[in-house]
Amino acid sequence: MIPIEYFLTFAAILFVIGAYGVMAKPNTLIVLMCTELMLNAANINFVAFSAYMTGAPAVYGQVMVIMTISVAAAEVAVGIAILLNAYKVRKSTNAEDLTSMRW
Amino acid sequence: MDASIFTNIFGYYTAILPMIIMIIGAMVMPAVYMLTKKRAAVTAVSLVVVVVSAVINLIMLHYIGTMGDYIYLGGTSATFSGLFVYTSFAGLMIMLFQIVAFFAILVSGSSREVTKLHFGAYGALMLIATTGMMFVVAASDLIGIFVGVEAVSISSYALVTLKRADPRAAEAGVKYVIIGGLSTALTIYGISMVYGSLGTIALDGLQVAFVAKGWTWGLVIGIITMIAGYGFKIAAAPFHMWAPDVYEGAATPVSMFLATGSKKMGLAVFFKVFLVMFIGVTAVKVEPVQYLFAIIAAVSMTVGNVVAIAQNNIKRMLAYSSIAQAGYILIAMAVMTPYALTGGLFHMFTHVFMKGGAFLIVGALICAGVGEKISDYNGLARRSPLMAFAMMLFLFSLAGVPPLAGFTSKFVLFSGAIYDGGAVSTWVWLAFIAILNSAISLYYYVRVIKAMYIEKPAKGTEGKLSYPKVFAIAIALCAIAVVVLGIYPNFLLEPCATAAKDLLGVF
Repeated sequence: MIPIEYFLTFAAILFVIGAYGVMAKPNTLIVLMCTELMLNAANINFVAFSAYMTGAPAVYGQVMVIMTISVAAAEVAVGIAILLNAYKVRKSTNAEDLTSMRW
Repeated sequence: MDASIFTNIFGYYTAILPMIIMIIGAMVMPAVYMLTKKRAAVTAVSLVVVVVSAVINLIMLHYIGTMGDYIYLGGTSATFSGLFVYTSFAGLMIMLFQIVAFFAILVSGSSREVTKLHFGAYGALMLIATTGMMFVVAASDLIGIFVGVEAVSISSYALVTLKRADPRAAEAGVKYVIIGGLSTALTIYGISMVYGSLGTIALDGLQVAFVAKGWTWGLVIGIITMIAGYGFKIAAAPFHMWAPDVYEGAATPVSMFLATGSKKMGLAVFFKVFLVMFIGVTAVKVEPVQYLFAIIAAVSMTVGNVVAIAQNNIKRMLAYSSIAQAGYILIAMAVMTPYALTGGLFHMFTHVFMKGGAFLIVGALICAGVGEKISDYNGLARRSPLMAFAMMLFLFSLAGVPPLAGFTSKFVLFSGAIYDGGAVSTWVWLAFIAILNSAISLYYYVRVIKAMYIEKPAKGTEGKLSYPKVFAIAIALCAIAVVVLGIYPNFLLEPCATAAKDLLGVF
């Protein structure tokens, strides 16, 4: 069996790539995609831990993954609607143009 | 009358009865708007739903208090394996969220800022957000907490953006959804690491597993990312940057709902997860966690109060002040005693009335045509003496001036950090920082009071103000609560003490 560290390292790399994207990318659509990457990193963690556990707790990981997927879908649906609204009102969705409120 | 009438009728589902009623209300709300096309009808129906749910909750809370027995979802059978548990802590917090929802819904229908076209959706989202908060405090494992918090977050993104034509609301919505998504990702990653290293996600099993397994690198990563994720929800420094923008951009009833309701939900998560997990553990070292919370608390109150001095927009000033208030409540997380938790819960209640009341006044004055700048409040005492007086009450209460509610709750909270069973606690320095911060905060609160009472109104704005009557009713209720809780705190302080003991399992 593949050692669990391989999965955890993969998930951690995915999570860090997502976090970098959230902090560095000016396009808010890409930022939303990067938060999805971070959520999926957590999903990989859950599935990996679940596969290596025995007994009742092994099921919790799989339940949690289903919950995360549905929450992520709802969040992206609302998020893209909000970006569309921002584009209609402000004519831009770039983070650099959305700076009327500071401090 | 006791809760057996509910258990006889609703059986397995009694534990989530207040939530079920709110969900039914949320579902019929768009239909009510479609049939009547009136904001007043939607407001009335949602108020009835909230009041019915609140009455049921009070009866259940009374039953819990007399019987000392929890109500489990699914009864004693294993159908839902106790996914939601109605304890006296859950009942008390549900009461808080219902009070917040009551005030927010009461004023929304007459506010100029709130959408007219989508008011059915607005009412439904408000009820769904409240339901999510109620599920969070009743949850007994991390799945319930996570999904409940997300229900609140996603509906509040929409609530903020529903003020549609306003460019500031659009910007606030984008910022909120991105920061919220980041915090969700951090939280779920933290939960996955905690699950992997402790092998459980049940809240009452976390401490047992933690004592058995001790600190591991996975648990450290998990705890830190979870604290960061939920730190965004309560807007504690250094995770606070979204809060002023969102509170400024959103319609004022929504700002009030977020500042008083959503933030309390995050704090309840902190209490339910971390306090229950770490309190009373001696076999494994927990001081690092206490110091982490102490530093977050100290930084939050200092940053909130110092930056609030520089604000000219009153909504931003109140937002920074609520960051500072979150810092005060986090003292309970650092001290980790039932007494400090009692103070934290009581301060959450008084904060609802004083911060909620201040936001309601801002909302009423926006409807009356007054701007959001502090200089727009010049001479308010002549234009609307009652409003100015109520605002003064709320601001003095926020600063902690006796005999108002803010003083009493801060007294209990800070004395929890000073006094520890006959000796001076090790957290005296935290109480010292908090008291210094209260003094700083008095400066910017008094600035508003000076504008209202001493400055003269600007040319052309000397006339009397007229605002919707429901705002006056809501503000009067908040003002009465602030005064009564300050003079006679016992009738709320004792349920808070019961709830704190109940949560921490010390009877």
